[in-house]
Amino acid sequence: MKVEISRRRFLQGSVAMSVVGGVSLSTSSMIASAGAPAKKIGNDTKKVATLCEMCVNKCAAIAHVRNGVIEKLDPNPLFPKSRNMLCARGNSGIQALYDPDRLKYPLIRDGEKGSGKFKRATWDEAYAYINEKLTKILDEEKDNRSTVAFCAGEGMAEHTFKTFFTLFGSSHFLNHASLCLATTVSGYSLTIGGYGQADLDNAKYVIMAGANRAEAIVTPDTMDFFKRTNGRGAKLVCVDPRFTNTAAKSDKWLAINVGTDLAFVLALTYVAIKEERYNKAFVENYFNGFETYKEHILSNQYTPEWAEKITGIKAKEIYEVAREFMAAAPQAVYYQGRRTTWSKNDFQLRRAMALFSALGGGVDVKGGICFGKSLPLVEHEVPAPMYAQAKPRIESKEAAVVGGSGSWVAFRNMVLEGRSPYPIRALFNYKHNPMHNMPNAKKTEEFLKKLDLVVTIDTMPSDTVMLSDVILPECHYLERTDPVVSYGGIEPSIAQRNKVVEPMFESKPVMEIMRGLSAKISKPLFEITKKYDEDVQEAIEDDDEETVYAEFDLTKAFAHDQEELNVHAVEKYEGAAEILKEKGVFYPNMNEYFKKTGVNDYEYYPEHKRAYSVRNLKFNTPSGKIECVLDSLTKKGIDAMPTWKKEYEMAIPEGKFRFITGRHAQFTQSGTANNRLLLNLVPENYAWINKRVASKMGIKFGDKLEVSSPVGKTTIKAYPTEKIGPDTLFFVHGFGVSSSAMHLAHNNGGNDAKILEDGIEPMHGSSCLHDTIVAIRKV
Amino acid sequence: MARYGMALNYKNCINCRACESACKEENGVLLLPDHYRIWVGVKEAEGEYPNISIASQTYHPSQCQHCENAPCQLVCPTNATHYSPEGMVMVDPTRCILCTYCINACPYDARYVDQRTMTVDKCTFCSDTRLANGETTTACQATCPTKVRVFGDLDDPNSEISQLLAKHEYRQVKEHLGTKPKLFYIL
Repeated sequence: MKVEISRRRFLQGSVAMSVVGGVSLSTSSMIASAGAPAKKIGNDTKKVATLCEMCVNKCAAIAHVRNGVIEKLDPNPLFPKSRNMLCARGNSGIQALYDPDRLKYPLIRDGEKGSGKFKRATWDEAYAYINEKLTKILDEEKDNRSTVAFCAGEGMAEHTFKTFFTLFGSSHFLNHASLCLATTVSGYSLTIGGYGQADLDNAKYVIMAGANRAEAIVTPDTMDFFKRTNGRGAKLVCVDPRFTNTAAKSDKWLAINVGTDLAFVLALTYVAIKEERYNKAFVENYFNGFETYKEHILSNQYTPEWAEKITGIKAKEIYEVAREFMAAAPQAVYYQGRRTTWSKNDFQLRRAMALFSALGGGVDVKGGICFGKSLPLVEHEVPAPMYAQAKPRIESKEAAVVGGSGSWVAFRNMVLEGRSPYPIRALFNYKHNPMHNMPNAKKTEEFLKKLDLVVTIDTMPSDTVMLSDVILPECHYLERTDPVVSYGGIEPSIAQRNKVVEPMFESKPVMEIMRGLSAKISKPLFEITKKYDEDVQEAIEDDDEETVYAEFDLTKAFAHDQEELNVHAVEKYEGAAEILKEKGVFYPNMNEYFKKTGVNDYEYYPEHKRAYSVRNLKFNTPSGKIECVLDSLTKKGIDAMPTWKKEYEMAIPEGKFRFITGRHAQFTQSGTANNRLLLNLVPENYAWINKRVASKMGIKFGDKLEVSSPVGKTTIKAYPTEKIGPDTLFFVHGFGVSSSAMHLAHNNGGNDAKILEDGIEPMHGSSCLHDTIVAIRKV
Repeated sequence: MARYGMALNYKNCINCRACESACKEENGVLLLPDHYRIWVGVKEAEGEYPNISIASQTYHPSQCQHCENAPCQLVCPTNATHYSPEGMVMVDPTRCILCTYCINACPYDARYVDQRTMTVDKCTFCSDTRLANGETTTACQATCPTKVRVFGDLDDPNSEISQLLAKHEYRQVKEHLGTKPKLFYIL
């Protein structure tokens, strides 16, 4: 009887997973050299259609190979999302592949944690070491699988690693979401029923606040939009404390005080409502709770005059932007933004932005925020076992809604401060660099040192890798075939990363690493489950051990070959598998629809086949309408409507600065810090400081500054400029690597993770990266 | 015979520098300081925070202008710098003696010394790396996210570049020097 229950419990855990796989290991004879690969020698050439992974966009590329060496990456025009382009980082993928500092062999720590001392190991030795540590930990923790945490960086192979996590049975998966986009995705989703895609190919009026699409490239937004700015169809209002490259392409740049965007949006909303400029028919039919929101905005007197005092933006500008936006609506977008870990009000800010956009009717319509269509794939299903002893996520109470990707900062701090209800003892890390991507690096270092086992899979010896116990070298993205991916949108398509060259040294794709590791640990870990899990003991009594083990067999998800799984995933589309292998991109009727329309230009879908409007005015929210009031959140301490609070106003003491961080178009977070080509373009980062303030302080261009906060300090050169306000300091993220194994990145520039304080916002426990006050000193 | 030139929708430029990186990878330009065949000229913003003149900050993608009256060609004592049949200004490294007269003569600062060959190097419109292989675009054009560049035959009235130049106003850089540059900036 109980067997039935536990069986049902097993089956509940069935998860859909497509699995990365099956590239046989081969140590290439080619050696990574410091120079560019030799050019044009030999005639054994081929072209392979693949996908970039130098950032999150996954642009389609054609790799040119000569005698086994990749000589050049060109854009592949077939992919609607990447629109026939490769940016600077895309072009530099070859340098990442042939970086002499790449991780080449499995390594096991051979000295104090953080000493940087490792000994070379075979794959089997590395797996055996992990097995020994893991079985000890899980035995001591009585099979509480949640004592082992998993974290992953974004990437197509993240999925495979997550499969391993799911089968392993821990509650703790952590990724970039709480350090990046959680608040904007949920803010828009809970309000208009989806994060959507801003149709920047057709919008007539766009407010980009904080989002910097000229530097933080997002496809196809960046490419679509900047062909239309500067009086060529789209008006751009850029709201940013810095004069960015996006500001330089704008019609209006509004310099805003850091962390006050919510006041700006509330005032825009006030003007739209008070002057009755919103789309009345749309609001009447498709808004839920509008009267309450209207009353809230008006009674709180969120006037432009009120907002001017908080934001520093003139009231007259706010009136003008609100009126122009509503006049252009519904082809008007308050751009959603992506990395929205700024301040405590991030979630409410994104809600207010979504509501303001929707007041103009610019949702699910051409030129507004579109939801698009997707091309479903056939999922490969593997049942996941359930572990009776696995305890729930430790940081679930640290914010109102802690989702499946956790609150990284809350998790780390609970472990560090001894507030965890049970010990966290180990961490499996796939291509994630918490030492750089999380605020307060000193705490991250202590956290990593506190763990009994840190296993990191990566391609480069990052600061996090150096604090690991076992290092498993993943092959580069051009050395592996990854799971085929479907990209929904206005012009949906399916794309596939195809292996271009064989993996170098002893590196392997994640699929193969998981296959080897699971083969080693699966049985020993099952023995521990058997020892502590009564359900399992009873199941074995009723059934036989072999049958029960089959459910707990970690190896089963990694048995298939990736190419084979990809063929299966697209089997409902005739001919797709071959086309994806040959051309890297597929969508139904591609042969008919895809047209070259100029030397640079392509058409992917005819106008009437583009998925601008798909919801038929039924939004994907509980009421099917645009949600003004989220009452359900109030019992979790979250305001039902976006509300300005006095505590959002942060005083900046005389002589100090509020620190902000961000991106430029040549680096992807900390992942490109050692790339020769990109460093050739941008040798180091500089701290932006207001020119007049710098002059008063005797700081000139290139002077070395020590930037310090209550949590740490970093050293960086000064760039005095009028493009930033007198009380703000900025530098781009991704420099200042400590790892001496990354020879070009080591100690090059300033590291923001060392100075950022680690506050979190109340909705998802996302980081507040713009809430740190810093001091500077010439050194 | 074609006569190659390039039109630039320079207002599209976001200074992402994809063009520079593609040029370096395509043409094997050494990854050293001051080694570049193409670049984006940035004019820094004028004004005082928060009153910045938006129009004052410009991005100006540039490279060898492949002048019809090229000063670099006039001063070259060994004829290393010469015109290709398609009107492109080329350097024959086997003839270059590194006198650097051409570097001084070029009003566009489009030439540099390649530390590997110790000869002068510059943009070739990818003639050896791409055009010779049947490609019809340069690396900088092909890779550009916002599609700034249009390369093509100025003598073919049906080419996209000819059509663009017929339809749009454009300007050339330092035209008054009489160099007859073949880069056209679409206004």
